[in-house]
Amino acid sequence: MARVRLDRLSKRFGAVPVLDDISLDIAAGEFVAFLGPSGCGKSTLLRMIAGLESVDAGQIHIGDRRVDQLPPGGRGVAMVFQHYALYPHMTIFENMAFGLRNAKVAKAEIEARVAEAARILEIERFLPSKPGQLSGGQRQRVAIGRAIVKKPDLFLFDEPLSNLDAALRLRTRLELAQLRRRLDATMILVTHDQVEAMTLADRIVVMSDRRIQQIGTPMEIYARPANRFVATFVGSPPMAFLDVTLNVGADGLARAALADGAGVQTAMPLADLPSSPTWRLGVRPEAAKVVAPGTGLVDAKIAFVERLGDRTLVHLRLADGGALTAEDAGTSRAAMDDIVGLAIDGPVHLFDAEDNAHHPRAPT
Amino acid sequence: MSGSAQPVGRSPWEARAGFAVMVVLALIMVLPLLWTLGLSLKANNELLRDTGSVFHGPYTLENYGSILRRAAVFRWLGNSLLVSLCTTLGVLTLSSLAGYGFARLEFPGRRWLFALVLFGLAVPEQSVIITRHQMFSALHLHNTYPGLFLPGLSAPFGVFLMTQYFKAIPVELDEAALLDGASRLRVFWSVLLPLTLPAQATLGIFTFLSSWNDYWWPLISATRSEMFTLTVGVASSQINFAQTSGLGFLMAQAVFASAPILAVYVVFQKYIVRAVSGAAVR
Amino acid sequence: MSAAAAPRAGSWRNALFVAPYLAVYLALLLYPLLAGAWLSLHKADLFGGEVFVGIENFQRLTRDTVFLQAVRNTFYFVLLTVPALATISLGLALALNRPTRAAAVFRGVFFSSSVLSVTIVTLIWRLVLIPDGGLIANLLHLAGRPPIPLLSHPDLVLPAIALTTVWWCLGLPMMLYLAALQQVPAELYEAAALDNAGRWKTLTHVTLPSIRRTIVLVVIIQCVLQFQLFGQAQLLTQGGPNGASRPIVLFLYEVGFRRWDIGYAAAASEILFAVILIATLAQYLTSRGKGAER
Repeated sequence: MARVRLDRLSKRFGAVPVLDDISLDIAAGEFVAFLGPSGCGKSTLLRMIAGLESVDAGQIHIGDRRVDQLPPGGRGVAMVFQHYALYPHMTIFENMAFGLRNAKVAKAEIEARVAEAARILEIERFLPSKPGQLSGGQRQRVAIGRAIVKKPDLFLFDEPLSNLDAALRLRTRLELAQLRRRLDATMILVTHDQVEAMTLADRIVVMSDRRIQQIGTPMEIYARPANRFVATFVGSPPMAFLDVTLNVGADGLARAALADGAGVQTAMPLADLPSSPTWRLGVRPEAAKVVAPGTGLVDAKIAFVERLGDRTLVHLRLADGGALTAEDAGTSRAAMDDIVGLAIDGPVHLFDAEDNAHHPRAPT
Repeated sequence: MSGSAQPVGRSPWEARAGFAVMVVLALIMVLPLLWTLGLSLKANNELLRDTGSVFHGPYTLENYGSILRRAAVFRWLGNSLLVSLCTTLGVLTLSSLAGYGFARLEFPGRRWLFALVLFGLAVPEQSVIITRHQMFSALHLHNTYPGLFLPGLSAPFGVFLMTQYFKAIPVELDEAALLDGASRLRVFWSVLLPLTLPAQATLGIFTFLSSWNDYWWPLISATRSEMFTLTVGVASSQINFAQTSGLGFLMAQAVFASAPILAVYVVFQKYIVRAVSGAAVR
Repeated sequence: MSAAAAPRAGSWRNALFVAPYLAVYLALLLYPLLAGAWLSLHKADLFGGEVFVGIENFQRLTRDTVFLQAVRNTFYFVLLTVPALATISLGLALALNRPTRAAAVFRGVFFSSSVLSVTIVTLIWRLVLIPDGGLIANLLHLAGRPPIPLLSHPDLVLPAIALTTVWWCLGLPMMLYLAALQQVPAELYEAAALDNAGRWKTLTHVTLPSIRRTIVLVVIIQCVLQFQLFGQAQLLTQGGPNGASRPIVLFLYEVGFRRWDIGYAAAASEILFAVILIATLAQYLTSRGKGAER
């Protein structure tokens, strides 16, 4: 278990900058997920921590050691690769023992550690097999086992679930969560799947466009996204944005008015908000409800309907051209082209012209 | 060979006719070989009168007996074996190292150097022979074993093949091994090299065969009979055709000299075909 | 991926892996090539006398009737062998592209001559071609015909050597065609069958277009190989009669290693190099576009 500190890291591939001034502090034993769309630099960041990419500027500390100039094998990290990267010509036992042999661990100790890891992961019977004889899920376990036996200070996971089918992914996710309890180690997971990040990580680092957009617990990221990118990227279906103007409402709280004048009461004092030429109101589907026409905030036309069984997603188009998604009961009778009323019933978010988000003060 | 790409079927009659044509063509193909075998089994003085006597007895193994009594042929056989093995081992070693270097490592001038090596594919052996011969004379390498096998090591094909092969292995494997604390050399030796065995086999067979059958360089470099390879040795007795010890003997020599490679071919046919055609396409 | 897993990119130490080969390559291929180009501009002999003469050697070549005859012979030989090899091996490949045991045996037979060395091949074919008791002479005798002096008639000698060469080299192009035929997707044949295409139509509209690039490749590879004709001519005829079967490489060999006029031989070798270089570039361009096939 070790604390990890990234200090002002930058990286470019040739003339193309891929990471700008990244700083991050990860506590010992913490599970952090790097979340972002492909090409945001999250994998590069992970590979820099592992030592697979050089560091152009900045420092990396693992525990008390500065590691950015050390070779990958000397950093005390283990990594689970996206395509597992098992050595095809070695047995499962040899795959797991390879790193320990390089580290000159005693033979008896190697056997004990491999046996222990194989027991935890329930892959004992595969030890004499070659990777080619195993299924995708089994290979995944071996890849994790190969990391475990090294007892590293830090585990790195590079999109470890992306090669599994949906059912197996769910199961492996649960197992990973359990494994994490048992191992009690510092872990970093790179993923583009928000569900993985939300369910596994203590904290999420949302990345986009070479930079960290927000660092926070899954609930913070969801409830108080720092900007429009995070608000859109986390949450499915994504938050909708409506152009609004702000005026003063009850108790000095800001009231967001749509084009036709209908207003939504926010929980933010207008005085706390900066001045901005334009404002957008962010509404998550669960905060929007479908009601009878004329009884809601405004009337809207149903663009289409997605029935998910337990609930129904109703995609609405407003008279002023704005679009948003509302949640309705699984038994909803909404149909395309119906005119319905829209009610806002839940937390809303305000975004200024710079796309920065504004939320009510956190309850104290 | 799988039957995946099969043209539309044909009638049994057509199939039988096609088969007959193939048999005839195959017979034409092997006729010179059978003729050679036949001649080698006849007494020399009988052939002197009429080679047509091959179609009837008596047959004799006398010519093969004479070969066994000539030490030179065995010396040539040994030379060929030694030179071909050294060339093959050398090419495999140099090509594997260089292939790994070009495919996986970053160093100044890498692209440029690889292009330079590719350029070598266009240089025929014959066009460097004059200066190469001068060089080997100056170094007193003619009529030595290193003199015979060293030029074979300079062929760029192996480096090209191994570079392509290393490139096809996922880089994740190197990375996993580096994270497992392996040195560059250990990554090469324990992780990647075992995965290149099919390419090693292809390159090894191709190199051995080319070296074994090479006539051009040993003809120029080996001028003393005891340093002849089998190809040059057989050629030398052929050029003295007129005063040779006899047709039957000459043909027995042809059979004797081709037997090892044909035997190897029969056993390893699949690999040899793959190696040779793989090398041609590059 | 830039530096493939190279943490300290661009290190000189990494070059150690390629250094051994590069040393051999530079010493034994590149240096002789460049030194040869330099030498071709000199009048030089075995005893180390070297006088710079500029392009005089090349001018001499253009006037040298022996060399010009060798060039003609070489191109004539390429013309005799390459089309024959390319078509006969294609026919064999088309006939033998089936998964039966018999086809495998036939493929083995037609490829078998390819593993023999040139000295064995010429030894065998000498006893086929000579009018005095050769196989062909014997067959003609059975037919009541007189023997033909195949190796000593100026008009017949190159065709005879070409016949030997076709017999020797048939296997490789056949295997290349077979490999290409295996790559033709079965759906294409199924589609052709659904369209009621006959066998000839299927061949000309599906099969041959699908392996078009391989056909070009085979022709180029064979041009390069046959252009370097040496052993068959040197061993069967020593270039005779009267130089009628002397190819460029044999000219080069005689000038360089019999007459020891090495500057002149180097000039001839530069011509050879230029021709092969052009053909190899063509091959490179053809196989590089390989992804575009089908």
